[in-house]
Amino acid sequence: MSVAQVKRIAISDSPWPWLMPLIALLVVFTIYPFFYNVWLSFHEFVPRKRSLAFVGFDNWIQLWNDARFWGALGVTFAYFIIALIIEIVLGMAIALLLDAELPGFGALRAVLSLTLVIPPAIAGMMFLLLQDPQFGVVTYVLNSLGILDKGMPILATSSTALAGVLLAEIWQWTPFMVLIFLAGLRSLPAEPYEAAMIDGASSFQMFRRLTLPMMSRVIAVAVLIRGIDLFRVFDYVFVMTSGGPGTATYTVSLYAWQQTFSFLKWGYGATISLTSLVIILVLANVFLRVAKVRW
Amino acid sequence: MHQSASTRTLRTIAGWVVVGLFFFPIYFWTSVAFRDAKDIFNWPPIFFDFSPTFKNFEQVFGISLGFGFGNQTAVTPGGGNFYMAPRLLDTIIVASFSTILAIVVATLAAYSLSRMTFRGRHDFVNWVLSTRMMPPVAVAIPMFFIFKQFNLLDTYTGVIVVHGIMNLPLAVLLLKSFFDDIPAEIDESALLDGASRWTIFRRIVLPMAKGGIAATAVLCFIFSWTEFLFVLTLTQTSIKTVPVVSSTFVTSIGTAWGNMAALGAAAIVPAFIVILLVQRHLVRGLTMGSLKQ
Repeated sequence: MSVAQVKRIAISDSPWPWLMPLIALLVVFTIYPFFYNVWLSFHEFVPRKRSLAFVGFDNWIQLWNDARFWGALGVTFAYFIIALIIEIVLGMAIALLLDAELPGFGALRAVLSLTLVIPPAIAGMMFLLLQDPQFGVVTYVLNSLGILDKGMPILATSSTALAGVLLAEIWQWTPFMVLIFLAGLRSLPAEPYEAAMIDGASSFQMFRRLTLPMMSRVIAVAVLIRGIDLFRVFDYVFVMTSGGPGTATYTVSLYAWQQTFSFLKWGYGATISLTSLVIILVLANVFLRVAKVRW
Repeated sequence: MHQSASTRTLRTIAGWVVVGLFFFPIYFWTSVAFRDAKDIFNWPPIFFDFSPTFKNFEQVFGISLGFGFGNQTAVTPGGGNFYMAPRLLDTIIVASFSTILAIVVATLAAYSLSRMTFRGRHDFVNWVLSTRMMPPVAVAIPMFFIFKQFNLLDTYTGVIVVHGIMNLPLAVLLLKSFFDDIPAEIDESALLDGASRWTIFRRIVLPMAKGGIAATAVLCFIFSWTEFLFVLTLTQTSIKTVPVVSSTFVTSIGTAWGNMAALGAAAIVPAFIVILLVQRHLVRGLTMGSLKQ
């Protein structure tokens, strides 16, 4: 190779020109908003003066003492954990059921992917109609089964509202888990199962000792990706309950949004959203370490 | 595994029933789009037995089947304007251009992340991944104020840029996984023949990754299509995408479920079609390139 050639490869091999557009856009979208949020959290909008005023640590002190914020954090965690567990268990069960070449199962797997492309806001509306206290199908079925008292509105009763929202969430995203788990199951090697069959293992033992360990990375990836979205849930609660009744379905994202745009508490809204950002980054990075997921 | 005929039959039925339960809300919503109010507001709810009508579609899209375009201005029950064809167009414009933005930027970055070794590459990939974790609300609030300053609120440019950037982490990681599938030896031998990185990228790698790029584009399109919070925050009146505009149908005289379902069904059908086209890459896309089918 000539010197010129080597030089050209060296020059053209710098990744930075290729990465520059990405870096520029991500800085605008992530680094800048982060610092803007930090700055905003030390200020508050004063309607009388129509401008921002420096308030020191007031917003942070208010956050610490705000029972509604802690309530919203509690709701968010409850939503996160309940949805994640149900989606994983149900997703695994359905994936195991569909992991076979039976009549029409290919089509069934395709049908399951349909829920994923529905805008969550519209899925929320669907379940708003399905759970309508006067005309809803879900209400009707639960009434007929005697599970729900007649005339009790699911989404407007504080004890059942979160379950009502979770129903939409779980309906829309369990198929996400099913599809990922199915892909994982289909890539498992056959030999360990053949060996286990010869040893007379039961199907539960095989699931417990072979399938689960071999699927651990698949499950970890699914948990990470779904978990991130679950923690920032906004669309469903916004269209289905607006956080109500009372504060029964107030999530952190919704609380931050309302403080900013409904009550014009710009500084406080930024404080809340910054807190949720920090929590999610810490949780996700700890999970990445513990589960040893790498991209 | 060897299963008896009866187990197989049971399992087939169970599979159909379970998936049928998941499909039911989609069926029901679509059927509501074809119903008169009396068939929606009925107790007990009507599941299958109703007389279909195209009235809702006529009101929402101004199209009378068989009669060409109907009178759109007449469609204002409850005081709101139910004519939604322009909103569907907004959604298509935003989703298309934001997808192009994301794909152009992400292919460049993904190629270099896949092919070039440099210090901190792993950390860089992790940083890109971590930007996917930002809660939209934490981005939307500062963005609202920046956009206000630069007069980008309520403009196509503003929404397109935000949706494009929002999809970058997914697009970069997914495209990187597709580029990783193409053997690096091809690039290396072309480099030795004196081709520049740019030529290799354009002439060799891009054509080979066509399928993967198309799948990535479809997913970016869908995520922009379904996005809610940014559009809600960063637009006011002149642009609205379908997910956000649905609330228009909630009026003072009640919710126009039939019209809302008509808009929803019209918005969901195209997404269904494109997602079926990329089934092969779906799981890889949903896991941001981490799992291959």
